[in-house]
Amino acid sequence: MPLDNLLCGLLESGVNKLHLLDASAQQRRKQLDGLIIGVSLKEINKPLYFVISTQQIDILAKYEGQPDCFIRLNISALKELQNNHQLTRLIKTEQLEVEGDIQIVQQFAQLLTEMDIDGEEVLSTKIGDVLAHKLCYHLKQCTQSAVKQLHKIEKHSAEYITEELRLAPGPLEVMYFCEQVNDLHKETQALEKRIEQRFSR
Amino acid sequence: MSNALENTTHFGFKTVEEDKKADLVAEVFHSVAAKYDVMNDVLSMGIHRIWKRFTIDCSGIRKGQKALDLAGGTGDLTAKFSRVVGKTGHVVLADINDSMLKVGRSKLRDMGIAGNVDYVQANAEELPFPDNHFDLVTIAFGLRNVTDKDKALASIYRVLKPGGRLLVLEFSKPLYQPVSKFYDFYSFNILPKLGKIIANDSESYQYLAESIRMHPCQDTLKGMMDNVGFEGTEYFNLSAGIVALHRGYKY
Repeated sequence: MPLDNLLCGLLESGVNKLHLLDASAQQRRKQLDGLIIGVSLKEINKPLYFVISTQQIDILAKYEGQPDCFIRLNISALKELQNNHQLTRLIKTEQLEVEGDIQIVQQFAQLLTEMDIDGEEVLSTKIGDVLAHKLCYHLKQCTQSAVKQLHKIEKHSAEYITEELRLAPGPLEVMYFCEQVNDLHKETQALEKRIEQRFSR
Repeated sequence: MSNALENTTHFGFKTVEEDKKADLVAEVFHSVAAKYDVMNDVLSMGIHRIWKRFTIDCSGIRKGQKALDLAGGTGDLTAKFSRVVGKTGHVVLADINDSMLKVGRSKLRDMGIAGNVDYVQANAEELPFPDNHFDLVTIAFGLRNVTDKDKALASIYRVLKPGGRLLVLEFSKPLYQPVSKFYDFYSFNILPKLGKIIANDSESYQYLAESIRMHPCQDTLKGMMDNVGFEGTEYFNLSAGIVALHRGYKY
């Protein structure tokens, strides 16, 4: 299907563009040179084949031969693939199925996720050192203050809901309520026991 | 029919003697070789990449196989095949035109592709390879420039291994009337002008448009493939039939 081809093409050029920016990518591709790795998401069930060579990564929608390694995984497991320690857990919980060498999977996941790109450096070749530094510095500050603001808004709205509107209980109220429930639970148990004792007599 | 007419073939809309066509086509490609890749991207608006991707998906190429990229031009398909077949495989880029071959070779070398690729200047009608040699033969946007297409197909059939397949990616007949109208306007009015602006050569692109019109339609080409012995032949229309991919197997 040409749509698949379009998506593969976009994905391929995206990955390779990123790899061009990463100085260590070629070295890491060399470890997997000549391997063909099939990846299929369980939700979509549409395999993609990654042909890895020292020059670049090619992504094919169809491959009729036997890939060196085939990975089937859930979308939710994609993020956790970065973490080597999680792999065995993912396999145990059946979020990840591997046919072939597990070491290849680890290296492959690293190849795609661990990209060491210095954005400031890349930018500086285009617009000059000073501007690039300024831009990145301000960007960093903006994100920091945005995160700070977000925390603040979260806190304020929580307080507004619990204190002003009284839509939801505050943390102390919840604790008090839970204690009361516990007490009630204990008392009922005691009462149950007493009733049992009376009837068994 | 007189003898003079029997030995003629078409070169675009013109009729020329059969032994002249190869030279005329060669002239066209000598003059466009340097700008070939840029022009492909501009004229097809980048869609030729998707057509080629589709071709690769249909090729069933595997590690360790032998592939022949006939009329391979500047080696788009060869580059992909070379990476897929790996060190144990082998790819031959063949073109009748040495200018195109040189451009292709320097481009592939710059990309770092070497070792499993050979470059051969060859005529598709008389392929200089042993019988039953290749697992896959592709000819992308080349067949319409071949003088004797039946002879070329027979020659390809000869060099294919049993179980091998031929892929012909070529311009074809648009399926729908409106597409056809637009396409005609584009190829006769806009395309030569673009050629003039970018490659400073409107005649070559005029020839391109004319040669596309003279190329056999989907079913005729399928019939030609059947005639030389290909089995299981089928075709896929791409971009509403502007381009068609024909596939045939040798068993």
